[in-house]
Amino acid sequence: MSSHYLKYGTIITPLGIGEQPHLKALKANQSGIEPTLGRGYNGENWPLSQINFLQNNRFHHLLALACDDLNTKVAPSVLCSSRTLVIVSTTKGDLQALADDPFHATRSILKEKLGIQNSPIIISNACITGVLAINLASDYLKSGQYDDIIVFGIDVISDFIVFGFQSLFALSDEPSQPFDATRKGITLGEACGVVILSNSRTDEFCVCYCGGATSNDANHISGPSRTGEGLVRAVSKAIERSAIQSNSIDFISAHGTGTIFNDEMECIAFNRLGLNDVPLNSFKGYFGHTLGAAGIIEVIASMLSMENKLLFKSLGFNNQDSQFTLNILKENQAAPVQTILKTASGFGGGNAALILKSLS
Amino acid sequence: MKLIASSYINSRGAYLNGEKLFDTSAVQEDYLKALYGYLELDYPKFHKMDHLSKLSILAEQLLHHYIDKDAEPENKLQLIFANSSSSQLTDLKFQDSYTNLGNPSPSLFVYTLPNILTGELCIRHKWYGENIFFILEKFDEDFFLNQIKFSFARENRLCLCGWVESDKNGNEECFLYLVDNTNEATTQLSLNNTLRLYRNE
Repeated sequence: MSSHYLKYGTIITPLGIGEQPHLKALKANQSGIEPTLGRGYNGENWPLSQINFLQNNRFHHLLALACDDLNTKVAPSVLCSSRTLVIVSTTKGDLQALADDPFHATRSILKEKLGIQNSPIIISNACITGVLAINLASDYLKSGQYDDIIVFGIDVISDFIVFGFQSLFALSDEPSQPFDATRKGITLGEACGVVILSNSRTDEFCVCYCGGATSNDANHISGPSRTGEGLVRAVSKAIERSAIQSNSIDFISAHGTGTIFNDEMECIAFNRLGLNDVPLNSFKGYFGHTLGAAGIIEVIASMLSMENKLLFKSLGFNNQDSQFTLNILKENQAAPVQTILKTASGFGGGNAALILKSLS
Repeated sequence: MKLIASSYINSRGAYLNGEKLFDTSAVQEDYLKALYGYLELDYPKFHKMDHLSKLSILAEQLLHHYIDKDAEPENKLQLIFANSSSSQLTDLKFQDSYTNLGNPSPSLFVYTLPNILTGELCIRHKWYGENIFFILEKFDEDFFLNQIKFSFARENRLCLCGWVESDKNGNEECFLYLVDNTNEATTQLSLNNTLRLYRNE
């Protein structure tokens, strides 16, 4: 088990900027998802979790806002240190620059706004990228080359993404309802989340990063595995590397996209892992599916649970699927949240898992 | 760690361990299809793939016999891939499908992520191990070396590293190399030179 400390960086979603507005919204079970007019390819009114205060270029604006907030929280001596590294999780970068280089602006904005010395490392591994990025941060810390790793997760909504998921019949015409018997699909969202993984503990709230792993389903590039094999392997490896007992896990922040097959796959996997009684939610009822940002913002929301000893209900889950034997949170629940499991699964057959532990 | 093998494909040909095995410069048809024939692949899914996946499947086939079955590749082989242009070629085709061709194409959309190619490799060979895909400005041997060290520290036994590009200007190449976790002392793999040789620079 590693002794790395995970701290809040920032979080920007339709629910606000920073941890506090998000804590308030999660406590009140308030969602960032709203109906939108005519955003579908044929003018469909897909609900979206869209940040209304972003201006064009929305990706640049969101990244710059995250940097501004980070500058108020993290000392320049950390940001500008040669022993600080930035890792960015994004699936598409700035799609307005698609014909040129969608990742160029990410590098330049981060350098300019934060004054970082090392070139940021960009990972693009579909919906598991955020969890993967935190796992990679731990590898970099272990190597001894760095003291602090700042991990960004960012993606914005675009026609490209909306039309793409629509073409796969993956979008829900109502706000997504992960794990619900009547779930119809995904609601897309946009967000930027930042966490900091450090060698040292400070006065601010932090949790212990214990370990993580990835796997591949080796089954289908865009459809979930029917057996949950990949997710079982990723979670098993993460548990092993964290040197914890699986029965010590007291909360699972699942991927839970709200599609029929994804949620079913997760149910199968958690049953195979013997984790079916562990309180579980999907945060996608609050934030929508934010792709490269999802793993990071859902880890931040899980940290809010740990800090406040409060589990948040799986928003949108009302009717138990008769085939599901999972302990899905129907209401907020006070609980001493000590050890949490975060999972993600995505296109390309990827699965990722990580485990966090409270210090207190 | 030890370098086991490297392979390379571009429009001029296919190479294994520095040696040109097949010259495609005179091929009239699609050179990837010609390579598929040369390698006697029987994998109909190949024809539906995007160029990044096709390049990777072919380049892997060139060095596949070097993968040690005793090293538990199904669980202990990690894929470490990167490029500079992500899935740009397919992304632009998908954008064209809804901008000019009247319908967003689902068969193109599913290839609009660079890590789909690692998924295709895993499906073909039943690999359930770890995968990661980076966007880098250019191939960087030292960057990959770090990732390999991280991977072996996580108790993986083999790393298949790949630099695979297919951009809007038609620049295409795939450079793969296989490394195992024996001979712990080796740190210099001289892969920048190997790639220059393959690229004929």
